[in-house]
Amino acid sequence: MTATSAETIVRPARARTAADSAGVRRGQGFQHGGWFVAPFLALFALFVIWPLLRGLYLSFTDANISGDSANFIGRDNYSEALKDPLMWDALGHSAYFTLLVVPCITVLALLLAMLAHHIERGKWLWRLCFFLPFLLPSTVAANLWQWLFNPGTGMVNHVFGLETPWLTDKSYAMLAVVITTLWWTVGFSFLLYLAALQGIPAHLYEAAKLDGANAWHRILHITLPMLRNITGLVIALQILASLQVFDQAVVMQDFGPGPEDSTRTFVQYTLEQGFTSYRVGYASAISIIFFVLIAAVALARMWLLRNREEGGR
Amino acid sequence: MGRPGLNRRHFLAAAGGLTVAGSFGFAALGTGADALASGADTRVRYWNLFSGGDGYNMIAMLDSFRKDNPGIDVKDSTLQWGSPFYTKLAMAAAGNRAPDLGVMHLGRVTGFSPGRLLDPWDPALLAKYGVREQDFNPELWKRAVIDGKLYALPLDIHVQLCFYRKDVLKKAGLLGEDGRIVPVGSTEEWFDVLKEARKATAKGLQTIGLWHNDQNFQWWFFVAFYTQLGGTWFNDAKTEVTFDTDKAVQVLEFLRKHVADGYANPSFGGGAGAEQFVNGSPFAWEGNWSVPVFDAAKLDYGATPLPPVFGRRATHAESHSFVLPHQAERGGAANEGAHRLAAYVVKHARQWAAGGHIPAYTPTLSTAAYRELQPQNEYVSAMDHQATEPKVWFAGSTGILAQRVGPVVVSSTTGSARPEAAARRMKGTLTELLAMKNPMDGRTAAQGGATA
Repeated sequence: MTATSAETIVRPARARTAADSAGVRRGQGFQHGGWFVAPFLALFALFVIWPLLRGLYLSFTDANISGDSANFIGRDNYSEALKDPLMWDALGHSAYFTLLVVPCITVLALLLAMLAHHIERGKWLWRLCFFLPFLLPSTVAANLWQWLFNPGTGMVNHVFGLETPWLTDKSYAMLAVVITTLWWTVGFSFLLYLAALQGIPAHLYEAAKLDGANAWHRILHITLPMLRNITGLVIALQILASLQVFDQAVVMQDFGPGPEDSTRTFVQYTLEQGFTSYRVGYASAISIIFFVLIAAVALARMWLLRNREEGGR
Repeated sequence: MGRPGLNRRHFLAAAGGLTVAGSFGFAALGTGADALASGADTRVRYWNLFSGGDGYNMIAMLDSFRKDNPGIDVKDSTLQWGSPFYTKLAMAAAGNRAPDLGVMHLGRVTGFSPGRLLDPWDPALLAKYGVREQDFNPELWKRAVIDGKLYALPLDIHVQLCFYRKDVLKKAGLLGEDGRIVPVGSTEEWFDVLKEARKATAKGLQTIGLWHNDQNFQWWFFVAFYTQLGGTWFNDAKTEVTFDTDKAVQVLEFLRKHVADGYANPSFGGGAGAEQFVNGSPFAWEGNWSVPVFDAAKLDYGATPLPPVFGRRATHAESHSFVLPHQAERGGAANEGAHRLAAYVVKHARQWAAGGHIPAYTPTLSTAAYRELQPQNEYVSAMDHQATEPKVWFAGSTGILAQRVGPVVVSSTTGSARPEAAARRMKGTLTELLAMKNPMDGRTAAQGGATA
């Protein structure tokens, strides 16, 4: 079932509206529901809303890591950030990573899911193989690929007969992180696609077959359109996750910024400002900028999707 | 025997009991009750950043201290070195949860807000345990003094060295009669040496590993050779950048030539340098902490300070030193224990020297036992020509300066930026940093009062 597709997410909302109008005692329902969500709301407020507000406040100060009283410096941090080439570089690296990862992972996950869906023998083995890497902690995955990419002894160069300086040259360093990420995380999107594929009614394919549609036509006119919602979800989740790339890039470069800073991502730069340079105020300001950028991406995606849905109706 | 009648209620009661007992246990840890439980009167909490061979050596030294001082219980914690260590130390000191004793790189002390995050040492207490200023190299001591107070007690200096394989150099005719590498006094001589060594090097191996793509190492090498040229960074008042881009270009071109002429293999990262050296590569420029690695591999090798290719001897040096992280109520037995422990380790650094480090305590340095250590005795002179980063708040091991200019040096060495452009960028960065306020106290280097 496409339990996570946008379609099903929308459905309960409609159902509730219908139930309300049918005369369910609204106050009581809310009261009970309120108690159920209260623990979540409390934790959300404590660990998301409060730090966000606190971060917003700190971004207007010159706070350092010691937590001593900080001076209010207005929007100085923000004006500095906008002129900070290192911040823009870091943002560029995160965006570049996202641009490479999102299309690759979407296509790869779809192909793998179709393969695992159609293959008859050893189905479980394929599913396991494709999904298993996702269960590894990021440090394990990154360390593994650090060995594989090793120029002297690594398997990648050995197998393909290359002499590519994967981790030590700025033209390849981010590519190495991308390849690692694809291998490590494709399992999640693969699983979403697999679930969605299993939810497509078999009779559609049967009918198409009777009408003389070949395999390619069936993929083009049944599978892909039926997977549209899940593709939207996969892309959205991947964009949001990829923009926040951090751990694999950092571990693969031994906690450094990569050759000539080429793998320093935005999150890493924020961490460096806050915890290496001790500039908590400035780090807060750039995290707020990043938060706004990511929120804008998420909103733009929602807006586009809504327009498309409305247009399609 | 039947199963115990453990129902849900019993289980919850037992779990609750354990939690309470556990929290008492933790509370006891916090009050030093564990020290009393071990029969000691005083507990000294000590944070360090030593792993690998250094970690083993430090633990061995602590064990012998414990044996000699049964009244003091040392509770040592080893944390990940580099930025994470300094962050934790800063936050602990700011939150008044600091350990009694810590370790820092000497170059970082200036930026670590002496007086707020660090407490000064008590010279009288140190003297009581046998450690006095005259027992240290004056340069080293001077760097540890800020605003007239001693904020760091140096344990060692660790330097960048030129490791060489005697077996390969012998084949190349580059060993003198004393069994050491022939002297080198200019860049031309150095590249001649590399050229000859390459001929004697087995196929598939590079001539020299020099961490050409590592921002820390490249920066350290730059500091060494720039110092050999007599280059300076800032004026005394720290108001003006005196960085000489012409000299910087000379150094950058020198470093770059190793890669450009194929002596260092551009495909190899840092770690490969040591691997290749073990496998028969004639040279590796590495920190002295690699001595135990090469000893363990049973190589026939020597190690000199970085060659004085610009005529004057200077090799990059940093120093591990003991510090007293700030405690609101520093004093009493734990503080005295911290002084005693630090003094003990500094004085008994023969063990430490086996790990390749040069002891800061000169009486140890001049012992026959130390003088017999090889290859340590070949590079002990590095103590007298240390090339160090400028004494400003943003300098020091893995500090802001290294983070900002290290990648610039790498870009020139690996060939993706021209040396002239790199030198200009370095000067620009130095100018920016000089104008920047230290986030810990809101003062620039000029206002910093960080001079000796």
